Amino acid sequence: MKLQLISDFNLETLQRYLVNDASSPKLSVTSAPFGQVFPALLQPATTDHSDFALVWTSPEKIVPAFAAALDQTAVDENRMMSELRQFADVLLHAKQHFRSIFVVSWTLPPHQRGNGILSLKGQGIRKLLLKMNLALAEELENSGSIYLLDGQRWMESIGNSYSPKMWYLTKAPFQAEVFRRAGAEVKAAISAVLGESKKLVVVDLDNTLWGGVVGDVGWGGLRLGGHDYRGEAFVDFQRALKSLQNRGILLAIASRNEESVALEALAKHPEMLLRPSDFAAWRINWNDKAANIAELVAELNLGLQSVVFIDDNPVERARVREALPEVFVPEWPEDKTLYASSLLEMSCFDSPYVTGEDASRHHMYAAEKEREQLRRIVSSADEWLLSLETEVTVEELNDTNRVRAVQLLNKTNQMNLSTRRLTELELQAWQQQNQRKLWVFRVKDKFGDSGLTGILSLEIESNTARIVDFVLSCRVMGRKVEQAMVAFAAQYCSGLRLREMHADYLPTEKNKPCFGFWMSSGFSYDEKENRFTWLLDQVYGFPRGIQIDISDGLKSDTVYPNETVSSSTNPAGHRGI
Amino acid sequence: MADLPIKPTSTNGGSKLTDVLNVIYESISDLNVQLPAERRIDKSPASVLFGEGGTLDSLGLSNFIVITEQKLQEFFGFSVDLTDDDPFSPTTGHFRTVHSLASYVCELAEKRSAGAL
Repeated sequence: MKLQLISDFNLETLQRYLVNDASSPKLSVTSAPFGQVFPALLQPATTDHSDFALVWTSPEKIVPAFAAALDQTAVDENRMMSELRQFADVLLHAKQHFRSIFVVSWTLPPHQRGNGILSLKGQGIRKLLLKMNLALAEELENSGSIYLLDGQRWMESIGNSYSPKMWYLTKAPFQAEVFRRAGAEVKAAISAVLGESKKLVVVDLDNTLWGGVVGDVGWGGLRLGGHDYRGEAFVDFQRALKSLQNRGILLAIASRNEESVALEALAKHPEMLLRPSDFAAWRINWNDKAANIAELVAELNLGLQSVVFIDDNPVERARVREALPEVFVPEWPEDKTLYASSLLEMSCFDSPYVTGEDASRHHMYAAEKEREQLRRIVSSADEWLLSLETEVTVEELNDTNRVRAVQLLNKTNQMNLSTRRLTELELQAWQQQNQRKLWVFRVKDKFGDSGLTGILSLEIESNTARIVDFVLSCRVMGRKVEQAMVAFAAQYCSGLRLREMHADYLPTEKNKPCFGFWMSSGFSYDEKENRFTWLLDQVYGFPRGIQIDISDGLKSDTVYPNETVSSSTNPAGHRGI
Repeated sequence: MADLPIKPTSTNGGSKLTDVLNVIYESISDLNVQLPAERRIDKSPASVLFGEGGTLDSLGLSNFIVITEQKLQEFFGFSVDLTDDDPFSPTTGHFRTVHSLASYVCELAEKRSAGAL
């Protein structure tokens, strides 16, 4: 992974931190000559579109009109905004050269008092700076791949962030710790763009979610809420977990307790913020926690690398770290009043998007629990699938579904044929080429709407179609949606009178479930080429019991022969929406 | 690298020189994070910092100075300026080794105590 540093001051200390930090993602870092911000953005040294860029500038150098404010002279605010827009235009132009650009918001050193009590009035420097940062954020709001990072938060987290001595010695205004912090933040931002954010928090209960041991004191004796500083701290920790849930992060429990006792506490304690329905799954028993976490992850169809485990007990933390090294187990403070802030400052949950599906993800898992209950009472898997009344809606990629599609493409590991990672712009550009098709699939059943959960893209050459992306969220894996997607693509290709369709499997550490699906798909498999092939003179049948809905945009496309699907292969038939 | 002999100068459970060395070692820990493994500095009085045989360039030395000044301020309760004599000059000796720096800091502290600074 490559990162270019672009600045009007010396960023070599940051470069040194980044290149000597072995944590993932490992970066190769180059610096443009400092002071050459506009040339470096307009004509970057690289033509490799996979590079990331960090742009960190001083407000008075990018916006000369602001320099007048620092000199306590009258500021022409129109000129100030015009200079700012010029900078934003250059950034927007530069996004064609980079995969993503991170821009650090402007800050001022604390010793810059400006006009003291008038600093946030009239043309006070702090007021002008707030205006400039806000205007820059607005200019970049819809840029897709440009992210404005909050530099002020970095400064506030470190005492004495600015160092005049460093400025005079090295032409860098900050002390080294700022660059160390910045390095961690930039890595977190890159991880977020790469879709490496964590998806599940597994928490312990006693002395983690609440104060006390529920098995000893009963739920009435727990320290939670009330006029008790420690009880309030536990409620705030639960509130912080709830805020993660609202961002689409799932919650689960791994606790050594009697299940009935712990669930009663969750359900009945009047100040409990998190109730049983807030948890996607739990293992409350006396078994090994590492084994419990492995089971939880399997139940939720996630990978261990998506998991954070929080426990007040250092022995349990050490055990999970040792047994499950892919799980992120943060050191946890002894001081309970630091629980909420420790959780909120973690960067591993950062994501470049928040979509409607994120906010309602835990409801989808609650629906999945109901499906599982139904699975236990019906006699066969086929009967169970039929009873779900699954509906799959097919859409072309468009402005309303692109953000979610890119998120799905970049976050999905298990059912992912080629594990392509693309930005919104890259995906749009890819799709606009002739002979390429990209569909997204929405899935719902009688228990709930799982939202946009599938992607299939094709590249057609001569009389052959190659499946480029075959992506399905773990939420709906194993419900024959996979077969429905392939059948839809096969039918489309038959309509074009193509001869064959193939899928080249690109193995990763995490996409074995995808290989398993293709091995059972009915396609012939060439082991040498890792290629699955279907000859289109045979009909690839739709799975029984799944209704395919085709959006209006697709219906106008004459190559969708929806009337050709027989009731024997698709008893539910096609239905436009 | 062999440690240089350190002669205690106080009886409060350690020496001022030892205390200052420990502050400098903390700075070395902080600085080493930005250095490649092969250029990291040993926490030893004999470690060469700057000049011939040293691993720090001028940017590394600048970072080291600012980190150390901050830690010394926390330790002593007053600010210490390690750049009063040009640290990059070939004739300046106190950044040569960890030990020479610690001795220089002790001298500055003694002058300060005596009211000379």
